[in-house]
Amino acid sequence: MELKNKNLQKIYTSLEKDKETLSSEELKKKYLSKEGLLTKAFIEISKIAQKERAQYGQEANKLKTYIRELIESNTNFTNTYSSKDRIDPTAPFDINTKIEDRPQFLDEEGTQHPLTKDIEILVGIFKGMGFDILESRQLDDDYHMFESLNFPVGHPARDMYDTFWTEDGLVLPAHTSTMQNRAMKMFGPPPIAVVLPGRCFRHEATDASHEHTFHQIEGIYIDENVSLGNMIATIKEFLQRYLETDLEVRIQPSFFPFTEPDCEFVISCPFCKKVGCSTCGNSGWIELMGCGMIHPNVLREADIDPNEYSGFAWGFGVDRLTMIKMGINDIRYLRDSNLNFLRQF
Amino acid sequence: MRVTTELLKTIGNITVESTEIEKLLKEHITNVEYSHNIGDDYKGIVVAEIVEKEEHPDADKLGVYQVFTGRERVQVVAGDKTLEIGDKVAYIPPGSIVPTTIYTEEKPIIIESVKLRGVQSNGMLGSEKELNLGPDHEYVMRLSEDASPGTSFADYFIFNDIAIEIENKGLTNRGDLFGLVGIARELTAITGNKFENPSWYTDKRKNLKPEENCLNIQVVNDAEALCPRYVAVAMDHIVVGPSPIWLQSALLRLDIKPINNIIDITNYISALFGQPLHAFDYDKTIKIDPAPDNKVTINVRMARQGEKILGLDHKTHELNDRTIVIADNNHPIAIAGVIGGQDTSVDENSKRIIFESANFDKNSIRRTSMELGISTDASTKFKHSLDTEACVPAILRAVELAKEIAEGKVASEIIDIYEEPYEEKIVTVDIKKLNTHIGLDLSKEVMSTILTNLGYKITSSDNSFITVVVPSWRRDVQIPEDIHEDIARIYGYNNIDVKLPRRPITSLKDNKIFDLKKDIRKQVSALGLNEILTYSFTSLDNFKKSNLDADLTYKVKNALSPELSLMRVSLLQSIFQKVKENKEKGFNKFGLFEINIPHINTYIGEDSLPKEDWHFSAVMIDSTISNPQSSYYLAKKYTEKILSTRNVKADFVLVADSLEQDLDEDIKAILNIFDSNVSALCVVDKKVIGVLGEIKNSVKESYKLPEYSCCIDVNLSKLLEIKMIKKEFRDIPIYPTYSVDFCFETDMNVTYGDMEKELDKIMNSNDSWGRVEGLDIYQDKKDKERKRTTFRVIGSNYKKTVINKDIKAISEKIKMKFKEKFGAKTI
Repeated sequence: MELKNKNLQKIYTSLEKDKETLSSEELKKKYLSKEGLLTKAFIEISKIAQKERAQYGQEANKLKTYIRELIESNTNFTNTYSSKDRIDPTAPFDINTKIEDRPQFLDEEGTQHPLTKDIEILVGIFKGMGFDILESRQLDDDYHMFESLNFPVGHPARDMYDTFWTEDGLVLPAHTSTMQNRAMKMFGPPPIAVVLPGRCFRHEATDASHEHTFHQIEGIYIDENVSLGNMIATIKEFLQRYLETDLEVRIQPSFFPFTEPDCEFVISCPFCKKVGCSTCGNSGWIELMGCGMIHPNVLREADIDPNEYSGFAWGFGVDRLTMIKMGINDIRYLRDSNLNFLRQF
Repeated sequence: MRVTTELLKTIGNITVESTEIEKLLKEHITNVEYSHNIGDDYKGIVVAEIVEKEEHPDADKLGVYQVFTGRERVQVVAGDKTLEIGDKVAYIPPGSIVPTTIYTEEKPIIIESVKLRGVQSNGMLGSEKELNLGPDHEYVMRLSEDASPGTSFADYFIFNDIAIEIENKGLTNRGDLFGLVGIARELTAITGNKFENPSWYTDKRKNLKPEENCLNIQVVNDAEALCPRYVAVAMDHIVVGPSPIWLQSALLRLDIKPINNIIDITNYISALFGQPLHAFDYDKTIKIDPAPDNKVTINVRMARQGEKILGLDHKTHELNDRTIVIADNNHPIAIAGVIGGQDTSVDENSKRIIFESANFDKNSIRRTSMELGISTDASTKFKHSLDTEACVPAILRAVELAKEIAEGKVASEIIDIYEEPYEEKIVTVDIKKLNTHIGLDLSKEVMSTILTNLGYKITSSDNSFITVVVPSWRRDVQIPEDIHEDIARIYGYNNIDVKLPRRPITSLKDNKIFDLKKDIRKQVSALGLNEILTYSFTSLDNFKKSNLDADLTYKVKNALSPELSLMRVSLLQSIFQKVKENKEKGFNKFGLFEINIPHINTYIGEDSLPKEDWHFSAVMIDSTISNPQSSYYLAKKYTEKILSTRNVKADFVLVADSLEQDLDEDIKAILNIFDSNVSALCVVDKKVIGVLGEIKNSVKESYKLPEYSCCIDVNLSKLLEIKMIKKEFRDIPIYPTYSVDFCFETDMNVTYGDMEKELDKIMNSNDSWGRVEGLDIYQDKKDKERKRTTFRVIGSNYKKTVINKDIKAISEKIKMKFKEKFGAKTI
């Protein structure tokens, strides 16, 4: 491109250089933004002599079109600006690096997060008991979070779950039960035994014992003639294995739209043997999880005939269990990512 | 839901000690938040009589009283000079606690004998506020004339009662348990007795004869779909005043503030039945809406968009066309089921009133309560399915009490708009199925008794089935399973036969991703990295600092704060922040990793939900390194370890050499984090599964990362899709090994990888076995176009010992090949 105006020609020359090194964004910024070189050149048209003005305008426009084209066609990352020399990514180390300077794995105290460690242990126990694994989604739709679980639209029971929503109408699951319908369809027809671990979200302010982000492990078991007694035995078996101690268990009635009967599972405090301590709030008992027999509507929604099959489900929070087991006194540590905390486990 | 044991016992036939009731509630109904003996707050406080009164010599506002406590005369100085001889008061002796301070102070105040401005005071005369009974703090509270000195105050106020707060959550489907009657009924059945409804509970008379000149009222229901029943009655000659002690006490024990006898009646009935009542002032209603013949029209209708009402909470509420209102001819006078209007409220001057007892749609009340941000006792109750059959008995009981304690006279018929009367529900239970479902072996007789005790009517039964009429208050019972629960619950979940299920032996379906994540965690934590878990939410600022495009995020509609309002598109953006924080704590050489799911709104799965791939992301920093080598190679070392868990080998392609249009959305989204000349795509089977290398300077600056920083992002779900290469055994030669070093001088664009592969190919054949090590890569500072790469090959032969002559031949072959293929000069 040949431009008569010296100033425009200068812009063009610098552009030819920049197109090799700058990314589209950077090109846009340098030339077309409010402070851009070309934008300024347009403003300066008023300083150009009257008879040269038309010519100047034409050339400036030509340049603008050219830059626009460049920006649009510029998808090659070669043009992304980098201050560094290209490296050979296939090599094991950089050019001219002395043997003692070559990359070494960090000689530091690496750790696995206590929560993921616990989830692996918990899931491992269920695996040993014959449960399949399906991990929970972290963004889901209303159908799986509510409707398929016998919460019709507008149902007051939805208030029990302080749910986050995205602007697109997606829901951040407030419980791992959001996976029940999928699991039944995926692992059905019965017998079905699946655990569903996953990250859940509740719209609540964070303090030492409350978190808007937490982990749950859901479980479902469906077969012919499955009873509430089977459920109690299964959960008790698992808890004894996990806490490595004999437990007394108690069942309290509760309410969940997707189970009938609905219960709360309560265990004798494994730390004080029912005498009362800080973990159990001096009551000797710890409420651990919601559970119950799966509601016939929920089975039906997953194409399972409730006249033929019955099943139970439970869901518990892992964070609290981990805290109890490790004696962690503030739930916020679990997501704070403080190395002073992490390296204790 | 607040109950008290003594109130429950007056309603039901609960044959256990009061102290046992909490346990029964927990085991058979639902969880309890706390319980508390109210009388304990009043230990030591007794009724006393003023016997002498004197002026305080040194203080204008204090009175000096001699009081008789039933045992002795004591002198008390009080801040109230209006007490007269003969007045009955609550005396708080030294050593007792001021009740209200139990709730307001960290350390409750204990009364002591003190001198007040030089005059001895042995104790305190309690005000309403100090006794935690009301707001007044100006005067000492006067007790009734017949109170006898020496009586404990808790006895006088009927406070020896255990209050229990039941968790509402567990009652969500049980509208009937929002009244004391409902809870008493269950407890009666739990203790094995039949619950007899109190006579007033079943009183459904509607032909109440007006005792006085009839008041002219008319009810028009224009919202029948959402107001299935509306009952009203007018009363005249009402004398509004304080309620008698028994009623005040009952309300206080139920944590309801006594206001005046009429309001107290509505609140008491509401607590008793779970059926909210409302009272309008008849005269105020006429005043704001004058009509011929003093006719009051009550119109149940939907609000008009933009209509306003001043509520009893003294706030003006703007209504919309989804709100049910109670209106006169023109204006709303109450928000149905939620809150009354200030303009028609009953006060101390009210003479003529209208009681309302209605039933509203629970979903509508819930929505209104949420939209207007008003939560009242009434709205809490109406949010659950209430019994339409309870409207009349509740209003009759209110009328009866108004006659008894407010001198009221009935002044209208009972008006009852009830278009679709309740139809009885019939459910049949399969006895065997019930026993199997719960794990019980109960007889028909045991089941029948439990059901009858709860108010079910048994219409027929044989050895296999029981058919029942569901009581009208049990709107939750729809299907046989609901009755299974009732029987199991009342019988006791803890009496169930506990046994593990018998299951067939079937092998599990692998969950490969779970196992892969487990392997990687173990692998990289053993190699010095620390696993973290961070929030899925982040801020716009975090996007900017990480050089990421916030247009790709899912926005949280009801975020807790702007800092938590966007879903992250990469785990790296969370990790950067945590690296920064740890660096500030004094760590200068470490690596953090997280395995989790990022969300990108252009990356959608087949089910049209966001595609949820698992990612491994890590950031490593080392502030102790000062030499200029690229940190990319550290990232590569870790990446290769991760890939090795699946026995996968990748190609690494410089980001600067890649074409954006060939990339998936999830890779494209994060590329801007990386410095393109010193980072690479991780490519396996032509699929890009990750990015690794150095971080852009702008991002490093934002998070104060040192020069030697690098990061990795690997899409584990994509890694899992790659077919694992099966490991196969290859024989190992028995002959001695030899080794030769080669130094090749090439152009810069000849890659190490290609040379290494070529050497490997030459060294391995049917006859020979070998491996290659890279020893050095050197570049002369004066010649930036060329480099020298030194390899060591270690070889052996399957058939013979390799001698010098053979080595020479192999070396020549290699040199030739490298010259031909790479233009390499062997040094």
